[in-house]
Amino acid sequence: MHYLKCLKVIILLNLIISFQSQGEKLRVGLVEYPPHLNFDMKNEDAPLYKYVDGWLNNLSVEIEYVRLSTERGIKEIQNGNIDLLFPLDVEIDGVKNLETPLFHSVPGLCFKRKKFIPILSATHRFNNLLVGVPTGVKIVSALESSKALIVELKGDEAIRRGIDLTQRGRIDAFYHPYPVQVYQRENPKYQEVACSSFHGYQNPVHIAVSPKLSKNRVQLIESAYQKALDAISYDYYFATRDKSKYAKTH
Amino acid sequence: MYLNKDKIVIVSVQQKLLMSLVLLFFIFCSLSTHANNKDVKYVLGDVTKIYMSSMTYIFKEQKLINQRGGNKSKLFGSEFIENIKIIYNSKYSEPFPLIDHKSKKVLLQSMVEVMEANRELISDEKLDFKGIIPATFAFQLSAKLSTKGVGLKIKFTRTQESLRNILNKPDTWEVKVMKSMIKKPEVFYDNDALLNGKAAYRQFTPLPMVPHCLRCHGVPAQNPLNFGKNEKDWTDIDMTGFKMEGWTLEDFGGGVSISIEKSVIDSNRSYQ
Repeated sequence: MHYLKCLKVIILLNLIISFQSQGEKLRVGLVEYPPHLNFDMKNEDAPLYKYVDGWLNNLSVEIEYVRLSTERGIKEIQNGNIDLLFPLDVEIDGVKNLETPLFHSVPGLCFKRKKFIPILSATHRFNNLLVGVPTGVKIVSALESSKALIVELKGDEAIRRGIDLTQRGRIDAFYHPYPVQVYQRENPKYQEVACSSFHGYQNPVHIAVSPKLSKNRVQLIESAYQKALDAISYDYYFATRDKSKYAKTH
Repeated sequence: MYLNKDKIVIVSVQQKLLMSLVLLFFIFCSLSTHANNKDVKYVLGDVTKIYMSSMTYIFKEQKLINQRGGNKSKLFGSEFIENIKIIYNSKYSEPFPLIDHKSKKVLLQSMVEVMEANRELISDEKLDFKGIIPATFAFQLSAKLSTKGVGLKIKFTRTQESLRNILNKPDTWEVKVMKSMIKKPEVFYDNDALLNGKAAYRQFTPLPMVPHCLRCHGVPAQNPLNFGKNEKDWTDIDMTGFKMEGWTLEDFGGGVSISIEKSVIDSNRSYQ
């Protein structure tokens, strides 16, 4: 058992030395993903940044963070202009992710409070419900096979418009890929709606790795991440973090 | 070739010693395997009882969950877990188990994560019924555990024809176990089962139907939404939005199905 531990330490030290000897800094792309990473806040105040930065720093290498839109981030990582990109809930052609997802997002429906449906497995309650869905967003099978009437919402501002239409009663509900982003008071994008989730239909949210990153570097990053996970998962870190620093905006 | 007699004796003694050590090692391994099999039952039992205690606590705190405003801190974080420990003590008349296996640690952490994910809903001062009932909490917990990669699966299920959530559909093993269980409801343990094609330990614990189950699954007279109303105005839709099934205390209440992959059970001990 001790031999195994010693071997692991030796391999890790080797990797660190080879990582540092490459002399390059690690370029990390950040994508906005409230409430985990809010661009209205300093990076240092965002729980997801703090968690990832905590273990990346153990690599003893200079790290440069850059804030990007999702589309730009995807292009940059595909081209190898950044080494890592997170959080990402889509798969990118030619780009791998670290083995373990950071967390899982759960899609849901947002309603005006008067029309709130708390348990979404009660799909018979969707009969003739007018549900707005942003173009290109894949809905869960429970909603797809229900008798809900789906309205496609086009454009870049589909989520904002969907929420707006829901609030004004023009549609009964709005499908959100991750309603926590709008239904959480500590989040600056909080909206006056009530959302419930399609539990059981969760999607992994990853750290993407540049295809140009050397195998050694990927291995070292993966080891550091696994070590951090053994200590505390991001889910639990997020659930138990000190919330006093996050001022309520509403 | 000349062989020294003393050397032969020494070599022979060394061989015997080595053989004895190998033998002792195998005896030790065999003993520890037997102990592990026994331990598995404890791990499965503890996880099931902790899971069921959390469902009981969620039922007990329905008023607090659904009320508008007030201090709801005992529904979150370490306070939530402490209260589950109290429920466990009174429900099973035994101390809360040691957190000596990763599955127990992950279960407790997942409970905290699930409640945190519901914090906004539970704290919403403009909503009454929040939909956080024992069955939905148990399902959220199961869904959360399925993302943890610890080879642990828990499901609160029942016979397929009477399921409300299609995602709780029983698998072949559960269907078979429940068939026999309806006639003779007792804990069923299987140390030679499969889970997703992998060798696993599985256990099914039947749940008796109790009066509070009938508030949703019973008849309209038991539906709290009908209390104080004329019979002609009663609804057979319960507060969660489902049609009441008309069950009685004599009906099968479903059960908790728990599975742990064999490959992970031994590698995750000694957590505290």
